[in-house]
Amino acid sequence: MLAIQAGHVSKVYKGSPYPALSDVSLEAESGQVFTLLGRNGAGKTTFVRICATQLMPTSGTIRVLGLDAVKQARQVRDLISVVPQEGRPLRALTPWDHVYNWLRIRGEGKERAKEKTETMLRRLELWDARTRPAMNLSGGMKQKVLVAMAMAVDAQLLFLDEPTIGLDPVSRRQVWSAIKDWKAQGRSILLTTHYMDEAEVLSDHLVIIDRGKVVAQGTVSDLRKVIPHNTRVDIAKDGLDADALSAYGSVTDTGAGMLRVFAFESAVRELSELAIRRNLSFTVSPVTLDDVFVYLVGKMEVNES
Amino acid sequence: MLPARQAMLIAYSTGILWLQRNPMSLVFTAISPFSLLFVLFVVSGGQYVHLAVAGSLVMALVGYGLALGQDISFYKTEYKIQDIFVASPVSPLTYMMGLALSELLFGLPALTVLAVLVVYFGGSLLTIPLLISSILLLWGSMSAMGFFISSHMLHMRNATQVISFVNVILAVLPPVFYSVTTLPDSLRYLSYAVPTTHASIMFQATMGLPVPADWSLGFGFAVQVAYLVGFVALAKTKAIWRET
Repeated sequence: MLAIQAGHVSKVYKGSPYPALSDVSLEAESGQVFTLLGRNGAGKTTFVRICATQLMPTSGTIRVLGLDAVKQARQVRDLISVVPQEGRPLRALTPWDHVYNWLRIRGEGKERAKEKTETMLRRLELWDARTRPAMNLSGGMKQKVLVAMAMAVDAQLLFLDEPTIGLDPVSRRQVWSAIKDWKAQGRSILLTTHYMDEAEVLSDHLVIIDRGKVVAQGTVSDLRKVIPHNTRVDIAKDGLDADALSAYGSVTDTGAGMLRVFAFESAVRELSELAIRRNLSFTVSPVTLDDVFVYLVGKMEVNES
Repeated sequence: MLPARQAMLIAYSTGILWLQRNPMSLVFTAISPFSLLFVLFVVSGGQYVHLAVAGSLVMALVGYGLALGQDISFYKTEYKIQDIFVASPVSPLTYMMGLALSELLFGLPALTVLAVLVVYFGGSLLTIPLLISSILLLWGSMSAMGFFISSHMLHMRNATQVISFVNVILAVLPPVFYSVTTLPDSLRYLSYAVPTTHASIMFQATMGLPVPADWSLGFGFAVQVAYLVGFVALAKTKAIWRET
């Protein structure tokens, strides 16, 4: 069964001349982490909110876990859990209050709710802060409280709208690990993020959205193939002419004193020798998702202009 | 899970737990309903104390009921907590009920004192059922109104402004702190269209003050029940839960 099936979904907010989503069609397999990547205002949150029955689409069809998200919203809501973007826990309530009471509100019995609350708080390293009111928690801990609330629930599909924003690297990895555990239980996740490393580590399937439209989709390796070259060589700019490097592949200025050459592996040796001859620092790495994202979204901008 | 239990848990989370950790909130929210009572008592040398008690009770109920709208707006726009509730099995009416109960907890000390004063001035315990039913009717309709209004507000500031305006329309302008008989006929009939007029007359009647000749208890109840049913229906069908 598909976790999400969107058919020609569009959304135009009242008073806005531009659609937030335009003719979006995509399918997310269940039991996978399905990631939406895009710049601010690209339409990721709008899509998530439509799927999570928080927002009505202007047109198109959307099925969540086989149910019509517009007409069968009540049934869908029994099966999902969300972390909203820029959500905040209530100031006076502790992490324990948030998770335990939310589980009770969603129908868990007292003992089971206690068990699950403890497990989730320990999992996200909130256990020591379990009795501390949210107003005394750090920004990252507050964010983790919302993640804990959502992940403690026995839902089939989890919507995580930028769940690791503001988290330190260690906390981010704790959340990643919890997401992987969730997936290992055969459950599905729709994730939005700005972090390419996060998308790369977690995603089974990625969709890049820009200005409300799907620009590209596939697995991480599928998307890497979007760029014709497979290797990236960054060379210090000193005295180097970008035109001279264009024979090896496509060249961009990173803006940090380096020229970036996307090239085939066969050209790497020549580029390295060139850099060594001129005593210039250089690094060689595979094309990253970040490169793909900049390449695709940048191309969209050029096309638009 | 029973919606009533969900509502109690929401009230517990947003009301009791808050009050346990911020007990002074109870004092702060309890004082405001007595401000006009104090002024009227001093200015009239105690002459209008019955009207002032009835008016203050109505004003408190309108205030605590509509304050739900501010809470809802806050949870929706600032905390995004409402988004979590929308995408869950909790229905909008359950959410509304839970937060309304929470507001009632904050108002409990003031409401208790005012209700005791009504009974004290009325001199009869037999009036307690009438008093409680009037309180519940007005609290219910004001809470539903607060929920309905706030659901249509995109910004917290708008919600606060509109709710303050409605507060004046319902608790200051109509004959809530003064007798309806002082109004000319045309305005008196108009004031009968406002639920707070009837609530105030009921409280005045409970304290033994004379009721207008063209008013009856049945009429007062009918208007209040109509408002309660109307606003609950509006909250259920027209309040924005899932955004469009």
